[in-house]
Amino acid sequence: MKKPKKIAVVIVAGLFVYLSMYTWNLRTGHLDALSSYTGLDISGLILRPGIWASDKVVNFWDRYIYLVGLKQENDVLIEQAAELKRANMLISAKARSASRLERLLDFVPPTDWGFSGAHVIAHRMGPAGSLATVSVDKGSAAGVEDDMPVVSLDGVVGRVLNTGATVSSILLLTDSNSRIAVIGDLNRSPGMLSGQGYGEPLLLRFVNLNAVIDAGEMLLSSGLSGIYPKGLPVARVTKVQRSDISLFLTIQAEPLVDMAGLEELLLLKREPVLPSAQTEADKAPADEEVAAGALDQ
Amino acid sequence: MLSTNNIVAITWWTLYTIIGVWAQKVIPGVDFLAPGIVLSMQEEAGHRTLWLAVIWILLLEGIGNMPFGYGVAWYGLLVMFYSVGRWLFEARSILFMALLGAGLGVLHPILTHFLSSLANLTVPVQPTILEGLVQALVFPIVWMAADQLFPKRLRQDVKPL
Repeated sequence: MKKPKKIAVVIVAGLFVYLSMYTWNLRTGHLDALSSYTGLDISGLILRPGIWASDKVVNFWDRYIYLVGLKQENDVLIEQAAELKRANMLISAKARSASRLERLLDFVPPTDWGFSGAHVIAHRMGPAGSLATVSVDKGSAAGVEDDMPVVSLDGVVGRVLNTGATVSSILLLTDSNSRIAVIGDLNRSPGMLSGQGYGEPLLLRFVNLNAVIDAGEMLLSSGLSGIYPKGLPVARVTKVQRSDISLFLTIQAEPLVDMAGLEELLLLKREPVLPSAQTEADKAPADEEVAAGALDQ
Repeated sequence: MLSTNNIVAITWWTLYTIIGVWAQKVIPGVDFLAPGIVLSMQEEAGHRTLWLAVIWILLLEGIGNMPFGYGVAWYGLLVMFYSVGRWLFEARSILFMALLGAGLGVLHPILTHFLSSLANLTVPVQPTILEGLVQALVFPIVWMAADQLFPKRLRQDVKPL
């Protein structure tokens, strides 16, 4: 065989082998799992000691050396805690009455969600990291599974994309491939929230032209996709535009979470509610209210 | 039993990998390990380069978030560029390294676009072009730094005149 012909055969054979491997992996996910359980975990091993040392130094500095404004900050936090306690009291009373009403109306009890905290150890890394993701220090060894919802204290962050044994990567809701079924907080108009990349506004799609939705309205997860629990705050509407050529409104929104500054996250996991536990949990607050009512009388 | 050279090589490449991963955390989208593949091909026996490539492919694929395949194509094409370029250029010249870096810089957005299309993913093009530019700049600099620090006892060639 002549040399140019040989080179062409090698190139074609290489391309064939590569594309076969690629499509086989897309179908089965075996190679993705292999790289997650090796590469992703190795990166965690490499990054963790440095992050631990840096956290220790920063904590030492903040706790024992840099104490400027600590008293003022403490006063503000005490005030905020008092406000939150008041709000919590009102909300818990409403939640208890809602669960009683649901029981009266024979609603099937929803699945309960447990949560566990995780630290962000890295944002996207390497040339193959083109999607907007963060890595956290928990993996399948801690019960993390693909597609688990991830939130912070301010709202929804995204969902688990890949899991290694001790590290997982989270797809952020700002990524162009993220889709979350949401509903307006006030007017209850449903839509599909998708990202457009880091620094770009989120896009709320498929909201009918005659639907009522206002700028400033909060968007909550609708629970329709089956991934996120219903009612989590996801984003806030920033702009609503009517189009003459589309059947849908053009709506922009902003995430409630600062994705660049993420440090700690909560991973939500579905936990089936045992009927006995549900009854006990509902009974206890109801008994407390009856006792409180008796005391009032 | 490991020879002294093997111990030195394992220690050096482990340190290089740790620094490379931290650098990739600081500057996303850029591969700091690729110059190591070229350096290993220039200075060491082939089997050591193969081991490094396998480990780094798994690392790149693991920390990345595209379906498996980017790392294989990325390092495969880098090895091909290097092997073809050696016919035309002095293998250890900085000009050749700058050209290899430029090649990787152009390859990054093309490969990302190609693989994301195959996996039906949407990836914005502009950031990948910027990452390609940074990759083109970083590659020769990292190669030069690594070449300077590479242990003399592991070298299997002589420097160019």
